[in-house]
Amino acid sequence: MSGAILVQQPGNSVVTDLGRFRGPRFGLPVNGALDQYSARAANILAGNLDNHPLVEITALDFRMTANTDLLIAVTGAPLTLTVGGRPCSQWEPVSVRAGESVSIRGIHRGLRAYLAVHGSLEAETLLGSAAPDTVVGFGLQLREGTTLVTRRSVTPVRQPYFDLPLFRLGLERPSMGSDLSVDVTDGPDVAEFGESGELLFTSEYAVSGRSNHIGLRLGGELPERTSSGEVLSRGVPVGAVEVPSREELLVLHRGRGVTAGYPVLAVVTSTGLDVLAQARPGDKVRFRKTTVAEATAAHRRSRAQLETLRESVNTVFGLLGIGCRPQWQDLPVAACS
Amino acid sequence: MSVLTVAPTEIHECGDSALRVVAISEASEDNWLTVHRLADWLESCGAEGLHGAVPTYDSVLVEFDPIMVSARQVRAFVKLGLLELHHADESAKAPREFDVPVVYGGEYGPDLEKVAEYQGISTEEVIRFHTGKTYTVRCLGAPAGSPMMDGPAFPKPVPRLKDPRLSVPAGAVAVAGRQAVIAPAAAPGGWCVIGQTPLSVLNIRREPLVPYKPGDILRFRQIPAEAFSDFAGMDLVPLELEARP
Repeated sequence: MSGAILVQQPGNSVVTDLGRFRGPRFGLPVNGALDQYSARAANILAGNLDNHPLVEITALDFRMTANTDLLIAVTGAPLTLTVGGRPCSQWEPVSVRAGESVSIRGIHRGLRAYLAVHGSLEAETLLGSAAPDTVVGFGLQLREGTTLVTRRSVTPVRQPYFDLPLFRLGLERPSMGSDLSVDVTDGPDVAEFGESGELLFTSEYAVSGRSNHIGLRLGGELPERTSSGEVLSRGVPVGAVEVPSREELLVLHRGRGVTAGYPVLAVVTSTGLDVLAQARPGDKVRFRKTTVAEATAAHRRSRAQLETLRESVNTVFGLLGIGCRPQWQDLPVAACS
Repeated sequence: MSVLTVAPTEIHECGDSALRVVAISEASEDNWLTVHRLADWLESCGAEGLHGAVPTYDSVLVEFDPIMVSARQVRAFVKLGLLELHHADESAKAPREFDVPVVYGGEYGPDLEKVAEYQGISTEEVIRFHTGKTYTVRCLGAPAGSPMMDGPAFPKPVPRLKDPRLSVPAGAVAVAGRQAVIAPAAAPGGWCVIGQTPLSVLNIRREPLVPYKPGDILRFRQIPAEAFSDFAGMDLVPLELEARP
């Protein structure tokens, strides 16, 4: 059975996934969910594969309704989630009855929220990914009246008493706020900045309103390049910290053009990129120097938490019969309380 | 059998998910071949945890998933690839050729006169320089798989625009520094646009999205503005497949 989800208030939202990993070879950015931890968590909480298409909601309120029962999960920046008018928990699986309105309001302390639907969403792909690419004109930007299709319906799972939240899977939520600490490693061209490169770690930077999925622009004291030769275009990593002008620092994010001719001063770590994904204009950023080994260890610790979550979800969903329909219809709801 | 001269290389850290391999020979052609053959080798291995490789002129960015492999493992793998290149047969890799019709100047090439003035030559001479050589696609770049090429033999490098355009149309034929390019898709750009091809370069309904690969050869040919519409909507295809007015 498939279900239709009607977008009633799109805000600023797209269908995306973890990214177009084959893109850079062909000159296309990886793109995909900017806060990868939150996106993975949403899909895991909804019983999906990490890379399944889901909705990324940036800053503005969002509302939808479905013609079938759903199981969803909402992660990312703090917000108010209501289903059929009832407040519901973020970072937990949530049951939605057919016809109920799912409303996401007041995203704060961060910028992006992720909404995953059990059974995933149908989406066109380019080079194996549903992630929008604004340059080549690919992807699904949601509009009022857009219909999304999901392949699975889940009979409502409800606490029989007082409609209390049913799940408490207890995943660690990323800390968010207006003072951000972002880890970076030395970039391959750090030597070109001489001693001024240290400014990156002693100064505080303010996130400009001209920031987007391609890159964040940060105002503050700028390291200066000591050499001035023309640089050949090179592949630049997501997270590259560059100083293209005298006004701002540029930190490239997942929508970055794959080649550029600016020296790379530093590179934001994988976990640091998730922090920047939630940065709002005006937020303050401090960079902290780390090593590739430490950055990898931090990234692996964070992924290990998601793996623990996946095991809990598998156990709970297995008991409830979610994702294995034949058993589910026979299980009484009380079995899960 | 012709054998590749593998350039010496350096491998640099580039964050927790990438390495930059730079070829450092004096011979730029050897550098270019080395990084592209290394990228081909890495791609063809299909090794788990390797996302892919982005080769340009003298460097290749190797991207990987740091959960599955470590930077040290990828570094060792790159070194293995570089050793393998010494045995690679170069003779089989014949480039394909593309003919690119271009309307120069006017609304199609708003910077043609500026480029001519800066070079101290006529616009006709700029066009003659631009159409008077064959171009090897050095790499696919941003945006959207642009063919990055060594530019025409102008007297001086071409400065970038002081105020980059917010949108340069698809098909724009542009020059900057000592480089030349065609824009496959509309995007912001700071290069000097001297003309436009009516052919479609990018097609996201097919794979690969752009028809050329690094190593392929492009030639530009001047057509009159009246002929622009004759080509409109046609795809850029290799010469042997061509059937055009």
